[in-house]
Amino acid sequence: MSLQFILDGLINGSMIGLGAIGVTLTYAILRFSNFAHGDLMAWGAYATLALVSGIAALAGAAAPIGALSFGWPMIVAALGGMALTGLLALALDWLLFARLRDRGQAIIIVMASFGASMALRSLLEFLFTSSPVYYSRAIQMAMPVGLGIRVTPDQIALLVVTLALVLGMHLFMTRSQTGREMRAYSQNPALARVVGIDVARIVRATWLIGAALACAAGIMVGILVQIRPLMGLDMLLPMFAAAILGGIGSIPGAVLAGLIIGLSEAATVQLIGAEWRAAVAFAILMAVLFIRPMGLFGVAER
Amino acid sequence: MTRILDVQELVAGYEPGLSIVKGASIHADEGEIVVILGPNGAGKSSLIKAIAGLVPVTGGQVLLDGVPITATPAHLMVRRGLAFVPQTENIFPLLTVQENLAVAGGILPRATVPARIDEMFGMFPDLARQRRLLAGSLSGGQRQMLAVARALIVHPRVLMLDEPSAGLSPKFVEMVFARLGEIRRAGLTIVLVEQNARAALAIGDRAYVLAEGREAHEGPAATLWNDPVIAELYLGHRKAS
Repeated sequence: MSLQFILDGLINGSMIGLGAIGVTLTYAILRFSNFAHGDLMAWGAYATLALVSGIAALAGAAAPIGALSFGWPMIVAALGGMALTGLLALALDWLLFARLRDRGQAIIIVMASFGASMALRSLLEFLFTSSPVYYSRAIQMAMPVGLGIRVTPDQIALLVVTLALVLGMHLFMTRSQTGREMRAYSQNPALARVVGIDVARIVRATWLIGAALACAAGIMVGILVQIRPLMGLDMLLPMFAAAILGGIGSIPGAVLAGLIIGLSEAATVQLIGAEWRAAVAFAILMAVLFIRPMGLFGVAER
Repeated sequence: MTRILDVQELVAGYEPGLSIVKGASIHADEGEIVVILGPNGAGKSSLIKAIAGLVPVTGGQVLLDGVPITATPAHLMVRRGLAFVPQTENIFPLLTVQENLAVAGGILPRATVPARIDEMFGMFPDLARQRRLLAGSLSGGQRQMLAVARALIVHPRVLMLDEPSAGLSPKFVEMVFARLGEIRRAGLTIVLVEQNARAALAIGDRAYVLAEGREAHEGPAATLWNDPVIAELYLGHRKAS
């Protein structure tokens, strides 16, 4: 039996995990399930594509870095794409969610996010059509790394980037004042106001971070698979499963659960059959929630 | 004596047309401990929360050092010098003791925060020993101390507490009130809402008795405790004389 599924699962799992960080933060801090999160991912991927093309048009084609399929324009475009996705999320909040939040009904905000999701997706299809596009058409050679596993340079690079982003997020949440304030606000919004935390600032930080990480996940999907307007929708359920499985509000939980889901999906494809892929992730989710309703790293409601 | 907090004819309530605080006027002078007593439902808690910006104010005004702060958003109150310790859920249970203080210190100049946290630990040595523990693992009395330290870290002009003795064993009630007495001696003005009238009046200078959303009586803490009419009506004890 080939163990290749372990690597595939890890890669897919890190994309799910990166996306799930935004889902779990939005849920813990803004207190609603943002179904438009997957579309932020897709918009991020397309924004980055537009920037890469723009840079290529202005500066000419750049050589790839080492054995990777992309060069420095991709890195610049990725940072720009993350910023633009953050701005898109802020705009959505200003246009839609902030107005509904003031009226206080969570279910209405969730429904609004469904609407936003459909609008964002249709707009992408309108702008870029629904046929898939790629950052690069270069074919990468996968290198054998033992145990029958083969890995491409892009995959290694993106695993390292994921690790760095997750570590960075962890340090941000535990060491920075804004991170502490975000955790405090998620635990007790009323007390957060009493101790002087500016809620508007926390809301902005949550959108910016969640959207930037969604964009990073979208770029990863784009580099390793392809860019399509529906790419976010396909990732939505695994991302929610990871956020819930990891425990709402927990960033390490979301990442670990993303890896668990990625691995179990890949194992299912390998061992049972591709048609069971989605089902197994949810079976695991439900089994864990029966035993530990607050998720792996969650804390019981007080 | 300088009047620090001046609440004039305050009207407040959660829903329009349904006031809980109905024209209450209280004040606190510099270095004073002012106690607010009253039967359940008299609006004690709502009054103090309205002053803190947590209950919508529909009439009257609040002056801090002569400056109107009425209906300032709650998160700006602490910047104006008004610190509030809610009755329950007054700490962040999943942050460590130190993080609880650091979060509250966010409005101070960044470079001064570590030294200020150390000052708080000097004031509350029990907390210093548990600085790396999650605040949720502290005992009730220690949580209350952490909540007070968290409020004090920003150098407030006025410290307002909503029933600091609620849910505490008598030993801890004594400890909490002893600490409040010490804090006052350092010059801070304290406004205290309490059910535990005996303990509160023992450290208080002046007290108000609230009834139906406004102050019904006011007097020095010592005489209020000894006034048989008030004692029977509002404080729930019959003076044995």
